[in-house]
Amino acid sequence: MAMECDDWGDGGGDMNAVPDGVVQHILSMLSNVRDVAACACVCRRWRDCVPYLPALFFPRNAFDAAAVGGGAADEAIGRMVAAVSRLRELVIYCPFSMARLPAWLAMRSASLRVLELRMDAAADKEAAGGGHLDCVALATGLEELRLWGVLMTNAPAWGRLQQLRVLEIVGAPLRDTAITETVAACPNLTDLSLLGCDCSGDVSIQLSMLQRCRLDFLGGGNCSLLLSAPRLESLEAQGFTWISLRGGHNLRRLSIAKSTGRVYKVDTGRLPDLEYLSLRGVQWSWAAVSSVLQCASEVKHLVMKIEFCGDFDVLQPFPEIDLVDFFNGHPKITKFEIHGAMFAALCQKNSLKNLDSRFCIPCLEELLITVRSPLNAEQKLSTLESLVKYSVKLQSMVIRISQMKNCHDAADDFFEEICKFKYINYRKVRIE
Amino acid sequence: MATREAGKKMIMLKSPDGMEFEVEEAVAMESQTIRKMIEDDCADTAILIPNINSKILSRVIEYCNKHVPTTGATGAAASDTVAPAALAEDLKIWDAEFIKVNRATRFDLIQAASYLNIKGLLDLTSQTTIDTISDNSLEEIRSFLSTKNDYLPEEEQTIRRENQWAFQ
Repeated sequence: MAMECDDWGDGGGDMNAVPDGVVQHILSMLSNVRDVAACACVCRRWRDCVPYLPALFFPRNAFDAAAVGGGAADEAIGRMVAAVSRLRELVIYCPFSMARLPAWLAMRSASLRVLELRMDAAADKEAAGGGHLDCVALATGLEELRLWGVLMTNAPAWGRLQQLRVLEIVGAPLRDTAITETVAACPNLTDLSLLGCDCSGDVSIQLSMLQRCRLDFLGGGNCSLLLSAPRLESLEAQGFTWISLRGGHNLRRLSIAKSTGRVYKVDTGRLPDLEYLSLRGVQWSWAAVSSVLQCASEVKHLVMKIEFCGDFDVLQPFPEIDLVDFFNGHPKITKFEIHGAMFAALCQKNSLKNLDSRFCIPCLEELLITVRSPLNAEQKLSTLESLVKYSVKLQSMVIRISQMKNCHDAADDFFEEICKFKYINYRKVRIE
Repeated sequence: MATREAGKKMIMLKSPDGMEFEVEEAVAMESQTIRKMIEDDCADTAILIPNINSKILSRVIEYCNKHVPTTGATGAAASDTVAPAALAEDLKIWDAEFIKVNRATRFDLIQAASYLNIKGLLDLTSQTTIDTISDNSLEEIRSFLSTKNDYLPEEEQTIRRENQWAFQ
């Protein structure tokens, strides 16, 4: 085979015949530093391509423990960063000394656009809080910044990172004022993620370009969020007691959760474009629930998993909800996932008894209901029947029965009734 | 220029070893180099493709035929009924089969893709080459890619020492 190719060029069919530009293209696909280092050793031509590589990735296990302890790892990182003069993207997951970071960033300040650092593994972790992040500002063209396991009690002195579009901070203990100031230093962010961060207090964020925002805060403490972002399209907020959103007129997806503690107040303003809404948590004040539901009148996919209501420490059931009003107020719902307490509340008001004959649920196609108690079994069954009857487009209804005390006679009866209901509507209804 | 059924414009490609390939213009235009020639009206009757022998050229055409985006043009390969995701998956499997060639052919394909400027084919061949670099010793890389080691012995010693950690 090789012979066939040799007739149109000398040395055809091996890497030596490939033009420089193509070798460069091939090698530019490398980013793992082990491969890059190996390549530099292959031949001069390959080594000469190293300055043009776009990215360097130092995996967690790039160096052995001895190299990290003895500083050889830092030396090697420094040498690689120095060699790649057009470096665009630097990702360091292995342990390194924070003290060396400023020198690396200064070397590549002109070309660097993406920086990702795992600092939980940084060799001199105790020093991580001491202003070592200030040097990020050296990379003036930086567009994306991701930091893992950073300790941020004070905001780094960044001045203004005008070019930064994406900021992600993961697994960090943060102080509320540090967040507010850090975000203020990046006025043009389109994507902001603060995930698994330990924080309490008042977080205030104003970003005119922000499109996607994910805030996942740990801890049961009280935390409030004041978010002003007129271009926001997607917001996930977990762990806030008070939420106030300004400029939600473009918002398409909203997810609010609180796994411990209470959601007290959610103030969003009208959400005319909202398609997906998810509300989760142990306890929400009813005012917060009804305020969001009212603002999200155009919602298409609604997920509600809130266990209890109540404004104080006492966990209370939901107030009665008028089913007819509810669906009239949210005519576009196509997918609805509803859990225990809220379903029970929907069943209690007997608004279906004397019904306007024109009532129908126009768009509902998929319904998932979790039933957790056999209380008011008759009402619940009649609600299920009505939902099937009035949802003209219904394709599937899944009834999930969970955590019900099955030693109880009432539970057995109820379950039997639901099974009967399933048989009557076997095309659409399923039990899990 | 030859014209076949339903006004599909045909282009003649000639390899230096004298073979001629009649392909649809849309397929030929997967190559940015040929597209430029056609758009600049430099493609009168036939385009001579220098440096690419008929064996490699026919494989390149095979690749372009599969990857040309218009539906119906390649018969069963691109039907209206197939979902985009399934089509992409199908293409990936096809690519993986396509690139199962010996080393010499692969380097010829790389050069052809580079000269004809066919991004998809260049990425595919380059990635396959890169895959042979990871997790191999220096000697293995050199022999797989048949690159000549042009370092002086003392030079190689220095550069190896500097990058020792990469070979552990």
